[in-house]
Amino acid sequence: MPNYKLLMSLTLCLCVMLLSSCFSNKPLTYKKSKALLDTFVTITVVNESREKADAAIENAFNVIEKYGDLINFFSDKSELSDINRNAGIHEVRVSPETLDTIEKAIYVSEKSGGAFDPTIGPEIKLWDFLNKIKPSDADIRKNLPLVNYKNIIIDKGKSTVFLKKKDMLLDLGGIAKGYAADLAVLDLKEKGINAGLVAVAGDVRAFGLKPDKKPWVVGIKNPRQKSNDDEIIARIPLSNKAISTSGDYERFFVMDGQRFHHLLIPQTGYPAYTCQSVTVIADKGVMTDGFDNAMFVLGPEKGIELATKMGMDAMIIDNKGDIHTTAGLQGKLTIERDH
Amino acid sequence: MKETIKNTTLADRLLFILLISVSIAGIFISRDALSQGSNVIIEIDGKPAYTLPLYENRLVPVGGPYGITLIEIQGGKVRVKQAHCRNQICVREGWISKGVIVCLPNKLVIIVGGSKKDKQQGIDAITG
Amino acid sequence: MQLQDKHRVAILSAYALALHGFESLLPTPIPWLKPGLANIITLVALILYGFRTALLVTLIRVVLASIFIGTFLGPAFILSAGGGIASVIAMGLSIKLFKNLFGTVGISLIGALFHNTAQLSLAYFLFIQRIEAVLIISPLIVLLGSVTGIVNGIISDTLIKNLLKKDGKKIQNVT
Repeated sequence: MPNYKLLMSLTLCLCVMLLSSCFSNKPLTYKKSKALLDTFVTITVVNESREKADAAIENAFNVIEKYGDLINFFSDKSELSDINRNAGIHEVRVSPETLDTIEKAIYVSEKSGGAFDPTIGPEIKLWDFLNKIKPSDADIRKNLPLVNYKNIIIDKGKSTVFLKKKDMLLDLGGIAKGYAADLAVLDLKEKGINAGLVAVAGDVRAFGLKPDKKPWVVGIKNPRQKSNDDEIIARIPLSNKAISTSGDYERFFVMDGQRFHHLLIPQTGYPAYTCQSVTVIADKGVMTDGFDNAMFVLGPEKGIELATKMGMDAMIIDNKGDIHTTAGLQGKLTIERDH
Repeated sequence: MKETIKNTTLADRLLFILLISVSIAGIFISRDALSQGSNVIIEIDGKPAYTLPLYENRLVPVGGPYGITLIEIQGGKVRVKQAHCRNQICVREGWISKGVIVCLPNKLVIIVGGSKKDKQQGIDAITG
Repeated sequence: MQLQDKHRVAILSAYALALHGFESLLPTPIPWLKPGLANIITLVALILYGFRTALLVTLIRVVLASIFIGTFLGPAFILSAGGGIASVIAMGLSIKLFKNLFGTVGISLIGALFHNTAQLSLAYFLFIQRIEAVLIISPLIVLLGSVTGIVNGIISDTLIKNLLKKDGKKIQNVT
């Protein structure tokens, strides 16, 4: 009967279509996320084989997790806590990644004239942004002498770190995410992945090109987002670069009309108020992560100056909402409408 | 009953096989397509009421026709901790790290996902 | 409507309500899996007594059930009514257009499919404006719906055959 024939041929067509999708060999993008380092890590990978992509991503997650265990400020078992416990007492032997991270942190501190300082631990510990607790001016002042990156003593030969003064606290939170992204990218490349994107919270590192041969596009968050529609203030294509952003909207609370946020000025212990957000683009995540903090404290003019001097690109949104950029970003940045 | 099974026409059986295979395929496809989220979007009565990061532990009380519903975010997952609806389907869902939880009587929808806008605008990641 | 038909509708609706009530008392391990046993009555009514009867029975069952349970005019009621109406219309049309193609089981499957589709669509337009949320749960719902459609279809078919055997002469098609 004609009805049956039609039915049969339709079913056959459907089966063919379903089957053919199983055998295509185009490179595709695979994306996976995991909660690591007390934040969200999303890894995107381009590959023809789903299994290979999955395995590479899982491996990269492991690398990040292991690194996280080394530098976790809040865990007693981390090498970082070991260093902090022995401040003023004796040096501590650490893994190469920990040593490297601290060295890079010192580098950022030096180049920014102390605007970034990983020894800010004692100051940041006084603040509780979740429960809206502001420390007293006396407490802030009391801990200032403990904040000085020059008191970090490194012995490369012995792979040790020593904090000179008792009660000093090293906090690598301002640079570790970028470093973790770098580690992940290195691992992915070793596993034969040629293109991908590693996002450790807002610290992103892109390498290679997407399947359509175009660069990865990263959106910069609007520091004063008011609705679902204006989440992104600008976007930029990335070719083998890292990008990080520091903002006064990440950890903060408002008390008596004033905003208190987590980007403290190492010299005073109080939040910096000249910028709303700073975005830095450079070759490595460790640099973008560290320098965006430094530039936030330096302010729009000095921040752009530092970026240019370091051969990096930056976009700074100052406290009035005006956008400042390095010369290198002209033409590459697409600012969304209404900004 | 065996008589009935014999009496099913060819069309009956084809339709059944088609529906079963399409829906099973659909289940696998949608599971893969579900992008891991970094946001928890809580919608009340169709309107987004809260957009919260998935990685910040939090307890969110939400009001609705059936009283207060407690939503819990912890360790990168969300669940409805407590609700006063009849069927408790939302509570029975348990923890999700992607997808949706719906409480129809309370007109509550909890979605774990990245921003829908990103995919539309062609953005691969967000910094900030 | 003739008195005989009114009686028929009343009795069928009573059966449908009873089945619905019985079903809601059963413990459900999977929250959305409702066998929809009342649909058996709808299908039997459709095949033996025609479209109008089946539609009336469905409407009465849905309205009364929601009044008794207390969800009248609530979201559950709208989904139930929408699904039921779509299902009856689809099944009725299928019987008319594809008389020789599908057996009872097939018609039941079609009914289940349209029931689910209507419910998902209504849920999307009225309650959950996010298409991703609806699309994600659709495959599972269609799968479960197909399974219950088969089961209901088999039961309906058996019921119809038994009824026809018993009162072959009294059953007349009222369309």
